[in-house]
Amino acid sequence: MLAQLLFSGLALGSLYGLVALGFAIVFKATEVFNFAQGMLVVCGAFFAVTAITLLGLPFPLAVLFIIAAAALLGVAIHVLLIQPLSGRPMLSVIMLTIALSIVLRSVVEMIFGAEGRNLTTPLPSGIFIVGGVRISQLHLTVALVSWACMAGFGGFFKFTSTGLLMRATADGHEAAVASGINVNKMNRLAWAIGAVLAAIGGLFLAQLQIASTDLEKVGLLALPAVVIGGMQSIPGAIVGGLLVGLIEQLASFYISPKSSDIVIYGILLLILMVRPWGLFGQRELGRV
Amino acid sequence: MNTHTLLAGAPAPVLVPVRAKAWRWLALLAAVALLCWLPVLLTERSLFGMRLSNMALLNLGLTQVNLMLIAMLGALSLNYLTGCAGLISIGHAAFYAVGAMTAAVTGTQWGWPFPLVLGAAALAGAAAGVLAGLPSLRVRGLYFVLSTFAVHYIVVYLFQEYQFRFFDVVGVPYAPATLAGWALSTPMRWYFFLLPLVALIYIGLRNTMRTREGRAMRAMRDHELAATAAGIDVRILRLKAFAFTSAIASVAGAVYAYYLSNVTSEAFGIQFAIQFIAMIIIGGMGSLAGSLVGAAVWLLLPSIITGFASKAAGSSGLLRTLLVDDKAQLVQLIFGLLVIVLLIFAPEGLAGIGRRLRSRFTRP
Repeated sequence: MLAQLLFSGLALGSLYGLVALGFAIVFKATEVFNFAQGMLVVCGAFFAVTAITLLGLPFPLAVLFIIAAAALLGVAIHVLLIQPLSGRPMLSVIMLTIALSIVLRSVVEMIFGAEGRNLTTPLPSGIFIVGGVRISQLHLTVALVSWACMAGFGGFFKFTSTGLLMRATADGHEAAVASGINVNKMNRLAWAIGAVLAAIGGLFLAQLQIASTDLEKVGLLALPAVVIGGMQSIPGAIVGGLLVGLIEQLASFYISPKSSDIVIYGILLLILMVRPWGLFGQRELGRV
Repeated sequence: MNTHTLLAGAPAPVLVPVRAKAWRWLALLAAVALLCWLPVLLTERSLFGMRLSNMALLNLGLTQVNLMLIAMLGALSLNYLTGCAGLISIGHAAFYAVGAMTAAVTGTQWGWPFPLVLGAAALAGAAAGVLAGLPSLRVRGLYFVLSTFAVHYIVVYLFQEYQFRFFDVVGVPYAPATLAGWALSTPMRWYFFLLPLVALIYIGLRNTMRTREGRAMRAMRDHELAATAAGIDVRILRLKAFAFTSAIASVAGAVYAYYLSNVTSEAFGIQFAIQFIAMIIIGGMGSLAGSLVGAAVWLLLPSIITGFASKAAGSSGLLRTLLVDDKAQLVQLIFGLLVIVLLIFAPEGLAGIGRRLRSRFTRP
C-alpha cells in the first residue's frame, strides 16, 4: 500500500510542482503573491472544456489553444491589473489577486454553470500493475508531462538569452533597467509562463477529477508548496510540490481524508516558525 | 482663523466655534433618531401611513441590517489590526469561528447565560489571538500573512472536528439569546442590542487610538525600527493588538452564531475570511468609519443588486438568465470589479473619496 501511495503522491505532487513553478516564476519576477493561481488552474480546465468539448478541436490543436489562451490571460492580468499597482503596499496587491480570483470564478460560473463538467481527452487512461502497484497511465502521463515541462523551463532559464534576461530582471529591477532590459516585457513573459503552467495543471486536473471551480482549492495547494520549498527558489517550488503531494496522500490514508489540509497547513506553519525562508530559499537579511 | 493667528504671531484669544459645536450635537441627535426609526420603517414598511413598495426600501429587510451590524464588528477589528497596527491578517474569520465554538461549548453544552457566553468568547478570542500572533515574533510581512492563512485552515478544521464529535452534519444549534430576562426574539430587539454594541466598540476603538498604546501602534505601523528605537517593545505590542482585535472578532462570532441560531463549520470558509478584507479595502484602510461603510456596502449591496436585477430582467431570454438565475455570480462579479477598481483608482477606499470631496467643498 505504501508504494501505491508513494506513486500517486509523487504523480500528483509533480502536478502541484508544475503549478507551484508557475507561481514561483511570477513571484520571483514581479513580487506578486498570486492568490489567483488557483483560479488560473480552473481557467485552464475550462479552456480545455471550450477547446475539446465545445469547439471539438483535435487534441494537439486544443493544447495549442489552451496555451495561447492562458498566455493571453496572463499578459492581460499583468498589463491591466498588476502594472497599475506597482509600488503599492503588499496588502493591496494581495487583495487585488483575491478580487481577481472572485471575478474569474463568477465569470466562469456564469458562462459554464456552477456544476462541473466532464472532460474526455485522448490521453491514455488504462491501468497496469507493476509489482503489486496499480499504476494509472493517466497519473504516469501527468507526472511525465509535468517533469518534461519543468525540465523545459529549467533549460529555458539556464541556456537561452531570454531566460538569462528574465533571471537578471528577477535579481534586480534597477540593474536590469540600467543594462537596457525591457523589464515590463520580461514581467509580462513571466505572467504568461505562470498562467500557462497553471493552465496545463488545470487540463490534467480536469481529466483526473472534473472541470469545476472547486479545482481552485487544488490549485491553491501551490501556495504551501512554494513556501515549504522556499519562495525565491525555482527548484524549491518543485520539491515543495512533490512534498505536498506526498503529504496529502499519506495523511489522507493514514490519518483521515479530511485531515490532509490541516497537515499541509500545519507543516506550513511549522516551516514559517522554524525556517521562514523555506527548505531551499535564501535567508533574507534586513538592512537598516 | 488659525492661519491668521499664526501669521500675526500675537497670542490672540482662542474663539470657540459655539455654533459649529451645537450643530454637531444636533446632527448627532438626528443621526441617533434616524437610526432608531430605521428598524420601525423596515418592519412596518410604510411611511406616514403610506405603503412603500419593496423597491422603495431597496429590497432591504431588518435581517440584512442586523447581519451588517455584526459584520461591522469584524470589519472594525480587522481595520484596527491592519490599518492602525499594520498587521495583515487573512485569517480574521478564524476568530469568528473561535467565538462561535466558545459559544457552543459554554452556551449550548454548559448552558451559560448569553452575557457570560460573550465574556467567555472575548477571553477565548484573546487567548487564540495571542497564539495566532506568535509567528509575528519571528516572521514579517508576507510570511506573517501566510501564517494567518494557515491558522485559518487549522481553526476551521478544529471547529469541524468539534462539530462532528458533539453534534452532526446539520450544525451546532444555539439557544435563543436572552439579556437579563429580555429575550432577543425579534429582529427589532436584535437591532437595539447590536446598534449600541457597534457604537460602543467603535467609540472604544477610536479612543484607544489616542492612548499611549494606540500611538505606539501607529508608530510601529509607520516605522518599526524607529518605534523600537523610541522604546516601544514591538513584540509585546503586536501580541496585544492581536489579542485585542481577536477578542472583538470572537465576540462578533458568538453574536453571529446566536443570531443565526445554527452554524456549521462551512460557514467560516476562506470566502468568509476574504469578505472582511474586501470590506476594509472598500471602506478605506486605516479608517474606522470607513470599515463601517465597507461592511454596509458588502452586506447591503447584494440584496439591492438582486432587487434591481429581478426588476430589470424580462420574463425570459438571455438577460433573465444573466440577472436572475446567475444572481449570486453577478453579485460576486460586481464586488470583485468594485474592489479592483477601487484598488487601482482610489486606494484609500470610500473614506478617502469622502475625505477628498469634503476638502474640495469646505474651506481649508
